[in-house]
Amino acid sequence: MPIIETRGLRKVFRSVQRYPGVGGALRGLFSREYIDKVAVEDVNLTMEAGELVGYIGPNGAGKSTTIKMLTGILVPTSGEIHVAGLVPYQKRKENARNIGVVFGQRSQLYWDLPLRESFELLRAIYAVPRAKYDANMAFFSEILDLDEFMTTPVRQLSLGQRMRGDFAAAMLHDPPIVYLDEPTIGLDVVAKEAIRTFIAKVNEERGTTVILTTHDLADVERLCNRIVLIDDGRIVFDGELERLRMEYGTHRTLVVTLAEPCDDMTFPHTELVEQEANVVHLRFDRRKITAEHLLRLVTERCTISDVSIVEPEMEDIIRRIYLEGYRTQAPTPAS
Amino acid sequence: MTAVRPYIEFAKVAFSREATYRFEVFTSIGSLLVRVYLFRMVWTALYFHNAGIRALTLEEAITYSTVALLMSLVMDIDQTQLLVSKLEDGSIATDFMKPINVPFYFFSDGTGEVTFHAFTIIPSLLLALLIVHIQVPDPVVLAVFFLSFFLGYLVGLLMNFVLNCIAFWTLEIQAMQLIVTWITDLLGGEVIPLVFFPPVIQSFIYILPFAAMYSTPLLIYVGVIGPDEYVRALLVQVVWIAIFTVGAVLMWRFGSRRVVVQGG
Repeated sequence: MPIIETRGLRKVFRSVQRYPGVGGALRGLFSREYIDKVAVEDVNLTMEAGELVGYIGPNGAGKSTTIKMLTGILVPTSGEIHVAGLVPYQKRKENARNIGVVFGQRSQLYWDLPLRESFELLRAIYAVPRAKYDANMAFFSEILDLDEFMTTPVRQLSLGQRMRGDFAAAMLHDPPIVYLDEPTIGLDVVAKEAIRTFIAKVNEERGTTVILTTHDLADVERLCNRIVLIDDGRIVFDGELERLRMEYGTHRTLVVTLAEPCDDMTFPHTELVEQEANVVHLRFDRRKITAEHLLRLVTERCTISDVSIVEPEMEDIIRRIYLEGYRTQAPTPAS
Repeated sequence: MTAVRPYIEFAKVAFSREATYRFEVFTSIGSLLVRVYLFRMVWTALYFHNAGIRALTLEEAITYSTVALLMSLVMDIDQTQLLVSKLEDGSIATDFMKPINVPFYFFSDGTGEVTFHAFTIIPSLLLALLIVHIQVPDPVVLAVFFLSFFLGYLVGLLMNFVLNCIAFWTLEIQAMQLIVTWITDLLGGEVIPLVFFPPVIQSFIYILPFAAMYSTPLLIYVGVIGPDEYVRALLVQVVWIAIFTVGAVLMWRFGSRRVVVQGG
């Protein structure tokens, strides 16, 4: 039985229509016209216990809205949600015991308290037994290096320290499910790596189910097998990372260095994307033309001194999907 | 027992948080003493020129105002203000993700805050006694006063909570709160004893919840509400508590379903 299941999940936000300028502001006082914005539409998501899923999409795609519905903060407009057998918004408190949440943009630590006291307060809230608490703290301190700032008030922590504190806070009560909403945002490389190691370890050693939303695809490539791509409120891809690469990473780039100038650079199924001095970037659709064939065509026409092939970066694949929208059919090559 | 633990912790945290704002404590006591002095001057001047006021003697009026000011150290704290600020900046999200009763969390936090400020009543009282002489009623009246004070406090707390819940719909309620503060100041009996109002208006304002906050305990203190009226006066307070409790439950139930988390 899946640990997380949503069916036909939909969330519509209603806001008052606003008009520009002073006149508009006055008009807004009297007219009550509403705009409905669909944040999430027909989201069907199923996760088994122990899975680590990357939930990605551009800003405003509906990632956070989905997470907030899974936590029980937001009530869906329609559709069904079950998290560990509970309907989150109906059993908010029971659901809260099963989940840990980290929001990169927002801390759940208590601003005025030293970190240690924030943890003690959370221990009281979740009624974590002392022995369990001590064991968990030892485990977290080791990976996250918490000891050096345990007695510092949260408002004085650096972003990296605060995030590490937030991770420990979210995991203190051993939740079987963890939602991580952009947890690496704004962190430096070292802090990111510590956080990634922590996520991987918790997932492997404790079998924690993790949903990770992020804009940093290095997080996804490092941690997730499966990714769910949401765009404009709808899930546009759900599957293995490798499959996305195969289906959408259809284009390679042939980089050739010309030994002498060569005028005509048009080849079939190929696009000249960049030319800098004598280095030429040719982007080609590998299903229509092989690298070997293209290279032969190039050498027939020009004299070259060097050649290399660039594989598509995950980043580029995702960017293209954001820009063009995901199509399940084979994408047409950009002409 | 474990169910109560977190709320005791919240209150403790709020208590020590308030204790860190030492400067605020001193200024609030200082401004209180200034007002005690001003009220003494005002009542003395008014009574001197107006022999007609006889609902209270001058000494009773000064006692009334001084006790009212001491009460305000606790009464003026809007315990549930935290709800509005958390709705505004969206941090209410993190409270909803915890296995806690969120209104109880606000109440516990407020209780910690109020408990701290209650302690400042004692030094304030001692310092005020250097400026004014106040009457002290007999122990039974004093006991009824404290009971009524507590009930009045609950009326204010619950009324504020109901008002603050409006922020679930509007996200900001400052202007409305200001209006309610003015009305409370005027009709609650904190500044002007309600017995000074014309009788027609009096019969009307005693029915409003504002009188149940300041006026009832104060009039018990100075003896305008006598022992034969205690039951009725306290009952009115209890009725208001009941009404606002129902209001609070309903507002919370409907309001919290429409939480819009601001920012991210």
